Amino acid sequence: MAGGILVFLVWTLVPVYWILATSLKTDLAIYREPSLIPKQITLEHYRRTLFETPFLTFMRNSVEVAVVTTALAMVFGTLAAYAISRLQFRGRQWMARAVVITYLVPGSLLFIPMFQVVHQLGLIDNVVGLMVTYLTFTVPFATWMVTGYFRNIPVELEEAALVDGCTRLQALLRVVLPISLPAMAVVALFAFTNSWNEFLYALVFIGRDSQKTLTVGLIGLVRGDTFPWGPMMAASLMGALPPILVYIISQRWVVAGLSAGSVKG
Amino acid sequence: MESSAPSAGVAVRRRLSARRALGRDWATAWLFLLPSTLVLVGLIAYPFLSAIVLTFQDKTVGSPGRWVGLQNYADLLGGGAGSMFWQAVVNTVVYTLVAIVGKFILGMAQALLLHESFPGRMVMRGIFFLPWAIPSLIVALTWKWIYAGTQVGLLNIVQIQLGLSRDLIQWLANPDLAMWSVIAVVIWQGTPFWSMMFLAGLQAISGELYEAASIDGANVFQRFWHVTLPGLENVVAITFMLSTIWTANGINYVYILTGGGPGGATMTFPMLAYEVGIAGAQRLGEGATIALCFFPFFLVLIYFLSRRMLASNQ
Repeated sequence: MAGGILVFLVWTLVPVYWILATSLKTDLAIYREPSLIPKQITLEHYRRTLFETPFLTFMRNSVEVAVVTTALAMVFGTLAAYAISRLQFRGRQWMARAVVITYLVPGSLLFIPMFQVVHQLGLIDNVVGLMVTYLTFTVPFATWMVTGYFRNIPVELEEAALVDGCTRLQALLRVVLPISLPAMAVVALFAFTNSWNEFLYALVFIGRDSQKTLTVGLIGLVRGDTFPWGPMMAASLMGALPPILVYIISQRWVVAGLSAGSVKG
Repeated sequence: MESSAPSAGVAVRRRLSARRALGRDWATAWLFLLPSTLVLVGLIAYPFLSAIVLTFQDKTVGSPGRWVGLQNYADLLGGGAGSMFWQAVVNTVVYTLVAIVGKFILGMAQALLLHESFPGRMVMRGIFFLPWAIPSLIVALTWKWIYAGTQVGLLNIVQIQLGLSRDLIQWLANPDLAMWSVIAVVIWQGTPFWSMMFLAGLQAISGELYEAASIDGANVFQRFWHVTLPGLENVVAITFMLSTIWTANGINYVYILTGGGPGGATMTFPMLAYEVGIAGAQRLGEGATIALCFFPFFLVLIYFLSRRMLASNQ
């Protein structure tokens, strides 16, 4: 038991340690005198990454794309989830099914025709192209998760409001939303992280440094065949911080939330 | 006034019959569904259908496509002209299968450990799940550095200091080794997701079942086989299908670690579709055909998976 925990600790932490150690070593220590523990600590790679590469531009683009696509996905997803979980209309089951299926259709199937679509919209080399295409995975995800949460909220709460003459939109905004805010925050954090981590679409649609997000930007730090490992590990560590922060904040809900999304309501 | 009454009646009757045909809240419902429907139709269904059209065309970006019928399929399946298609099929199957088995075993072991109560359990859970929170691209870059084939790569530093071998090991450049090195990274990052799913499943199994089994004299392995595994049936099925779809379609690890090489040893189908369809000659039609050839397999998975997911979200 203790042995098992130790093995998993080493297996999990060694790569994480290696990012940190490399980012703090001097170039000499990285390439000439390889050692497991840095003998001399330097912040030089962080300084170079922040001030001599477009790293901050990449970060800003990643934030913009993730925030816009998450905000849109939450609005679209919440409205759809309310319709699917509360309203009576023909095609409700069909719509629920369409949401799950589109959530499961993988991006590797779509990126080539999507390249054409983005090209036709004139959004190649433009972060707006990413904000739009990221809706393909954030909207089905948000709709699916929020539908699950809404199903757990008793209908009686809104019925009183509806009897008092509230419209459906008012019932959603004044009754359902306030009680589901914590759950919705977790869904939004997941959507934000998914968008932050996306690489394939960004790789295909973006070529100019000024529009690159963090993931493609990191690849741009490679010069020819040489990987500047010091700055790259420094940039990796800083770029991984937002999703790790999100993970730490939402950790309590991760196990429950993930399984709610796919296993049980 | 007199004449407006019957027409108002007609309007009400018409509205009533619309409600009967389309459902009580149909107008509000479709208004609420409009934005999502636009996304589903415009950004998922339309590109998907145009992918199918593309497979019958010889097309590059910005040029009008030329209709070539089944030529793209014939080229791929016939394995003509330096096509790596069949190699990519075999690689994708090996890559996905080994990674899934690895994630299942490690994820189950991790979940069973974390299900026990011991001091510091929550901290350990936080650490064990960390790889899940790191962007996969950064994970791939980190491992590329760990695998470096010179004396500066972490694994080579360690294996030389331990005296395991006198030569540097080419983890990613040796065609016999590269696939296993890539799969190890996939397992490293993918294990936490399985472990989380199993842990949630384990927490839902009633302790009384274990007590009853113990009273009946079942040992640890019998309890695992007869209580734990059946109790996790739904979780295992869903996780297996979800992870298979995500793993097989992932491009990040292969793209960063090996680019599909050496000599196509790690070329999986999304990487090949990217190589053919986007990088280099941008032969969109052929690239789309590569991706679409795998779709029937995913369609089966999506069918069964969506049924299970819908059933448990009711």
